Amino acid sequence: MISPTVILIGTIVVSIILAGLVASRPSVTNSRGGKILAFVSILLFPLLVTSMGVDEHIEHSKTTAFCTSCHVMEDYGKSLHVDDASYLPAAHFQNNRVPRDKACYTCHTDYTMYGGFRSKLRGLRHVYVQYIGKIPEKIELYNAYNNRECLHCHAGARSFEEGATHNMEDGRLDLIKSNKLSCLSTGCHEVVHNVSGLKDVKLWSENDKKNDGGGEK
Amino acid sequence: MTSTKMQRRIRIAGTLVSLGMIVELISLLWTTPTAFILFLIPGAILIVAGILFYLYSLVSVAESPADEGITEPVI
Repeated sequence: MISPTVILIGTIVVSIILAGLVASRPSVTNSRGGKILAFVSILLFPLLVTSMGVDEHIEHSKTTAFCTSCHVMEDYGKSLHVDDASYLPAAHFQNNRVPRDKACYTCHTDYTMYGGFRSKLRGLRHVYVQYIGKIPEKIELYNAYNNRECLHCHAGARSFEEGATHNMEDGRLDLIKSNKLSCLSTGCHEVVHNVSGLKDVKLWSENDKKNDGGGEK
Repeated sequence: MTSTKMQRRIRIAGTLVSLGMIVELISLLWTTPTAFILFLIPGAILIVAGILFYLYSLVSVAESPADEGITEPVI
């Protein structure tokens, strides 16, 4: 099946050819057909390809490669490859609990009505800071991590709902679900990216697994 | 062969739009924030400029018919 990117690139190439034709021979606009051609190639197609291009770039911005392409995010990308299951992002990334190609976006988007939109606005701000602004010494979340983002996938899962630790005492599960008991900062899943300790840890790569011939640990 | 003012404007508009789309095409080859900036700043701006110039060329026709090579009919 033809991918949307190929369709977009094809549309842009056709648009460039048509707009180039009108630009090189503007006399074609003397005829009715030429006027329509100019209207389509200089107005409609450019608007179409620009809107399709914005959509394509927004899709690109959801990818792990996009997020970790900035120098400041390299260590966070590396933390996804830590060979230690106590590292929460690494365990999610390596065991396909999140799509590997959209790992950052999956966990760092607010699952609310305008969460995706807000994430993109923040992303634009990050681009601004990357090129023009001052990158902070320490990267921090805007707000404390909300359990809602974890529950987007884990709510209803048997391992979560019936897990012994989650049901250790009455009402604990409700506290977790209502975000009154944080998944990350209450001593349960507190090892997250931990980028300051990356130099001391072993990293995992898909190729290692293939070379070992072993399965999932 | 002489070209009218409108045709010259359409030529400029078409060139701006073509250049903008070439920049947008190039920007799609990368998955980085720089590519997004490339898409928006030169790419989309060139296209918007081309479209505005094209629309201006259309609305300015009625203003000065003499400029467009249209003369009064000889009776």
